[in-house]
Amino acid sequence: MKRSHLVLAVLGVAALLLFPLGVGNPYYIHLVETIMIYAIVLFGLDIVVGYTGQVSLGHAGLFGVGAYTAGVLVMKVGTPLLVTLIASIGVTALFGAILALPALRVSGPYLAMVTLAFGTIVQILINEMSFLTEGPMGIKLTKPNLLGVKLDEREFYWLVALLMVLSLIVVHRVLRSHLGRAFEALRGSPVACDCMGVSVYRYKVYAFVISAGFAGLAGALYSFSEQYISPNTYNFELTVLFLLAVIMGGRKSRIGSMVGATIIVLLPKLLDDIEMFRYVSVGLAVLVVATTVLGIQRGRVTPKQMAIPVVGSIALAGLSFWLQTMTDWRLSIFGVIMLFVVYYLQDGIVGFVRNAFNLGKRSIEKEPVATATGADALKTTSTSGPQAEILNASQVLMQFGGLKALNNVDLSIKRGTIHGLIGPNGSGKSTMMNVLTGIYVPTAGAISFGGNTVVGRTSSDIALSGIARTFQNVQLFGEMTALQNVQVGLHHTFDSNLFDVAVHTPRYGRESRAAVARAMGLLRFVGLADLAYEEARNLPYGKQRLLEIARALALDPQLLLLDEPAAGLTAPDIKELISFIRKIRDHGITVILIEHHMDVVMSMCDTVSVLDFGQKIAEGAPAAVQADEKVIEAYLGGQAA
Amino acid sequence: MQILTQLIFSGIALGMIYAVIAFGYQLTFATSDTLNFGQGDALMLGALVGLTLVGLGLNYWLMIPLVCLFGAFQGTVVERIGVRPAIKIKSEFGWIMSTIALGIIFKNVAENVWGRDDLKFPSPLPESPMKFLGANVLPMEILVVVGAILMMLAVEFFNRKTIYGKAVVATFNDRDAAKLMGINTGLVITFSYALSSLTAAFAGVLIAPLTLTGATMGAVLGLKAFAVAIIGGLTSGLGIVVGGIILGIAETTTGFYISTGYKDVPGLVLLLIVLAVRPQGLFGKSVIKKV
Repeated sequence: MKRSHLVLAVLGVAALLLFPLGVGNPYYIHLVETIMIYAIVLFGLDIVVGYTGQVSLGHAGLFGVGAYTAGVLVMKVGTPLLVTLIASIGVTALFGAILALPALRVSGPYLAMVTLAFGTIVQILINEMSFLTEGPMGIKLTKPNLLGVKLDEREFYWLVALLMVLSLIVVHRVLRSHLGRAFEALRGSPVACDCMGVSVYRYKVYAFVISAGFAGLAGALYSFSEQYISPNTYNFELTVLFLLAVIMGGRKSRIGSMVGATIIVLLPKLLDDIEMFRYVSVGLAVLVVATTVLGIQRGRVTPKQMAIPVVGSIALAGLSFWLQTMTDWRLSIFGVIMLFVVYYLQDGIVGFVRNAFNLGKRSIEKEPVATATGADALKTTSTSGPQAEILNASQVLMQFGGLKALNNVDLSIKRGTIHGLIGPNGSGKSTMMNVLTGIYVPTAGAISFGGNTVVGRTSSDIALSGIARTFQNVQLFGEMTALQNVQVGLHHTFDSNLFDVAVHTPRYGRESRAAVARAMGLLRFVGLADLAYEEARNLPYGKQRLLEIARALALDPQLLLLDEPAAGLTAPDIKELISFIRKIRDHGITVILIEHHMDVVMSMCDTVSVLDFGQKIAEGAPAAVQADEKVIEAYLGGQAA
Repeated sequence: MQILTQLIFSGIALGMIYAVIAFGYQLTFATSDTLNFGQGDALMLGALVGLTLVGLGLNYWLMIPLVCLFGAFQGTVVERIGVRPAIKIKSEFGWIMSTIALGIIFKNVAENVWGRDDLKFPSPLPESPMKFLGANVLPMEILVVVGAILMMLAVEFFNRKTIYGKAVVATFNDRDAAKLMGINTGLVITFSYALSSLTAAFAGVLIAPLTLTGATMGAVLGLKAFAVAIIGGLTSGLGIVVGGIILGIAETTTGFYISTGYKDVPGLVLLLIVLAVRPQGLFGKSVIKKV
């Protein structure tokens, strides 16, 4: 963290803590308290929405579960504060896991609907289970006791402030750690994520569980803060408000979450006060017009693009003078704001401000790399039995409907060799890769890797057992830097759990530093060290391919599958590629190479197998295969016999 | 036994309404891979506009085509404002949020225009029940079932037999290929939204005489219809009818034997279970995704 950031953070926390001393009015104290509580929910929601890229409409439900866990425990059992908070977090996290179970199999709109259904069920249950929740009557609470002292409004405020700052730190640390990278990776490319040994399945649940935990904490604090909870609070409107806050504030940003929380708490108050609303809407219109003028001058936007927001904001200002009361139209205004945010403010306020003031991209933490590992970052695997078989596929059949993409193919790969897999387009090469890495489950046949069967295991499991791959159509985690991409490959080197990450135990520090050093070493190996902090999607195509290889090597594989690594590379780059594929082999890593550049295949491979229409038509040394009549026929077409 | 038969009959009528709304989801999903999260609000608006028209002295049967027109218009608005820009920027998040936003706006406008209280929709048919297999069946319930089936058949007929329908089906099969064949896929998507909201509005005026009509009637209906669309499969016409009936009966029986408060629960739980076990739905085909 930069020093200026640290100073700002300290000032911010100090201002927050001093606020109730300066402002005596309990109304304002309570308002800020609510903002902080919402901010805690949003930190959690941002994990799901911003990082894993899923739409959750269930967070109001989870918030409600937290609130009611606290309410019921205090009312029925009279548990002390600390126990209540922990129980709320635990119970809500459990609900998050239940929610994630059906959600695991689906994404996008399905997930949104599932979470919406979940939220609706929670509300119904709270309403109906009167024996536990008092139903529509709601539960009355008092401010809790802490260490035998009953907290007053101001002291409770400090408690909330403390917990928010703690949540902020924990969320920030989690998202900067290997866990956060896993969340981001599963959004970037689920397939690649699985093939890097990071189970999409498992980390989606993690994301939901952690996210739910924060919603639970916030819910419990909310019930103490309001001192009254009733089922109707946790409705569809609230869940949409949460989502709106995350996007409007800015995804993937803690400041964004706090800004979002402030807006959704203050906006209803603002709409209640028509006078105030008139001022603000005029102010907003002026602001929008000013930024538009500025933007057009700098050539960042065209007048046509900005026409709608300008007209819209002026219309809003006009509307505020026309309507006598805004309260009834509150939801419509939320709706309009949502539309506006979705189309014009996709990066949220934080992103907009960064853009407008040219603050550049997200400051990427450039951790000092302790050791400038000149030594190879590649791990040498033992080549105990040099001629032993590492992978054996026998009679593999892969059927898609009537099409046999692989028709009883046998493949035997010797340890420590480079095995070429060639064939015309559509011959089944990539299907073979997908079968070997568990993306497809073969219709029939057996595959064993290092003596263990591969068929039926998940991709991430197979990856962890030592098969790494690259993809024909590049599957990088686009929004992550080159370094982070490789770090995702190094995920398996982490033993740290959530606790280690949250408190930064020495174990986590050690693993984290080692991973950065290894990742830098691997980038250097493929010649991308200079581009370590560049976002993967901004790299040229050829470099992206190299980055994929570096990422695959991070898995410390015994077997590396390269799917057309030379595609899109320039001639000098190809030469370099050949040299480092050889280097990879020299470290004892077996390589299967799919490639259309015949000179690459012929100069490097120890053995070449040729596929055509799903069948293996030839196998042997490169020269022999090249002379094989069947192969020539497959590539060039033969005469009708 | 008599009660059970009766519950089954009401369940079927309710289920057919779900099926019609679910059918609307299928229409837009087929052409554009998007859904209108405000489908329930389209239904609500249809019912309320119908109520106003009836209040103006219009005959129920004459009112239906007008409501359908209104529904088509409403669907077009949703597509133009909420969906088209999102498809253009390829943002899944975008259309989910914008259709939700539009749904909220429609609901709020309805609250301000028609008030927050539930209204009674006058029944066009006699309200005295008929005896059938020993159970009481409302004539309106029979109308709902017949109307729903006719609606779905009409759209199916349109899709299969007319050249415009073939454009819709072509867009469904492969949007890019259809575009290259000179089909204005943008228009087809708009059209599918219009048709989708039209069926929802139609379902609204069908169900309105059986339930109370009001701004909040749409939300839960829309969600449960989605459950039906998932249970039946987003690509299966038969699936949604079966799914709708299963859900309708589950709901009426739960409402009677357990508590009306819980009547929404079985559908939603069924949705969660089906998605956890068989995401493509009971009747849908699974798709192998290409890497």
